[in-house]
Amino acid sequence: MVSINYATREVTCKIVYYGPGLSGKTTNLIYVHNKVPATTRGKMISLATEADRTLYFDFLPINIGAINGFAAKFQLYTVPGQVYYNATRKLVLRGVDGLVFVADSQAEKMDENIESLTNLKENLEEYGYDINEIPIVIQYNKRDLPGVLTVEEIQAKLNPMGWKYFEAEAVGGRGVFDTLKMIIKLVLDKAKSGKSSGAAVAAHAKEPAAVVSHATSEPPVTPPPVAPVPVEMQAPPAETAPPPARQPAYRSPDEEKGQDEYPDHEDRIEHNTLSDDKAAEPVEQYVAPPEGPATPEEIEDAGDAVSRPFPGSTSSRILRRDRRITVSDFQPAGREVESPGMRSHFSRDGNLAQQNMPTPHMAPSQRIVKKKPGFFKRLFGIQ
Amino acid sequence: MNDDSLIIYEEEIEKIDSIMARMLKGAEAKCALLVDKDGHLITRQGFTHSLDTTALAALLAGSFASTKEIARLVGESEFSVLFHQGKKDHIHMSLVGDRSILAVIFDDRTTIGMVRLYAKETALELGKIFASLVARSQAGGGATLSDEFAATAGDKLDDIFQD
Repeated sequence: MVSINYATREVTCKIVYYGPGLSGKTTNLIYVHNKVPATTRGKMISLATEADRTLYFDFLPINIGAINGFAAKFQLYTVPGQVYYNATRKLVLRGVDGLVFVADSQAEKMDENIESLTNLKENLEEYGYDINEIPIVIQYNKRDLPGVLTVEEIQAKLNPMGWKYFEAEAVGGRGVFDTLKMIIKLVLDKAKSGKSSGAAVAAHAKEPAAVVSHATSEPPVTPPPVAPVPVEMQAPPAETAPPPARQPAYRSPDEEKGQDEYPDHEDRIEHNTLSDDKAAEPVEQYVAPPEGPATPEEIEDAGDAVSRPFPGSTSSRILRRDRRITVSDFQPAGREVESPGMRSHFSRDGNLAQQNMPTPHMAPSQRIVKKKPGFFKRLFGIQ
Repeated sequence: MNDDSLIIYEEEIEKIDSIMARMLKGAEAKCALLVDKDGHLITRQGFTHSLDTTALAALLAGSFASTKEIARLVGESEFSVLFHQGKKDHIHMSLVGDRSILAVIFDDRTTIGMVRLYAKETALELGKIFASLVARSQAGGGATLSDEFAATAGDKLDDIFQD
């Protein structure tokens, strides 16, 4: 389901590429990964077998940048196509916002296409989703191969619902972006025409742009007649103030975080790698900071919890040296008092002892040299 | 279909963040991620700068989902705690409420017992916040975007996806 995060100001949608084995789902993702700018996409993750067949899923996050102050993120998943991976295939469908059905156009693969489509319907039903409600785009792949059926023939077999369709050669990239663009549009349209309680995110009574032709656009200003209970009417406006007003409030959590550990911008790297508005910043510059806080300032800031793992760090050594000075300063004085033959006299002479009381900054050797001549002179009456 | 869409508000996130930060400090763990079962990252705390948290979130949700199936096969409804042990770093995952996962990454500076203890407490606390959050986003009428949003996105798509 479309996830809207007001704290990080992100809208995230999940798009799943579905279809029979070897129909080209992963190839679609690989093409997207190779062709879009590195600032727009994240790392592609492929959980595949050694023979490069998808085992669990492929995952490619893309971020089309900030729109109305919200970063629009799309997570593209593929499913394993083979029949016997149905258990994992079903798991990937959880929380899906939009589907791309990649069909193999070859005549002999038509049964597999139909089987996969039926399977899709069943799996969706297990989650309680209705295949008629989820945005779906169908892609007729491998149009370049010999022995493919005509589009009309495939349409008749696979697309009685009249979903939008595209012809494609995923290897060469034909139709890949068209499919992706269409499904993203459908997903966003679906999200916007959801059970809106009037005040959608920053809906300023603007006319829907011409690009979005198939919108089930409701009049943007008035709340729909299926009006929610009063609570619903109140709740959204409070949360959907226009972006500029919320801007400072939004940044604060991250800034606070930054004070604790690392500067704000470093903490946010992986957030923004994909976003368009950060595209100008050279992302590569951000070398991950060293594992532990290296500088003494950082250690002081972080306090106990952080300094403990680094017992050999400079700050703790300084501390220990301080302590040694204070302790050693008073020890020699005591020893002096204990020295044989002089103890009783010295200890009885309170004034002298006080005068010669060592200061913390004086080295023990200095004190001894200073004290001894005076003491012996007095003892033996030497002038 | 829109019934379980998730809208996350700032106030709740601040509460969640502070709870997670407290747990990290107590358990002396490296970082923690809160992930939706659908694979969306909700929030994170701690030293996450060197991690690809988006991918991590998707994979954590994936691994949780697959163990859920395993649980079903052995007659359990769901495993509520999952633990991955590595040479240096380990991951402890626990269920928060019924739709999110708290993953704590830690190393040998602390122990699994400490992490378990704190994660369990935290999961309970977060569960309560989450319940209110879900209730609130449902009361708010599900996820809705403005017309403007979809239109601007449409324009952007043409720029980005060029053969």
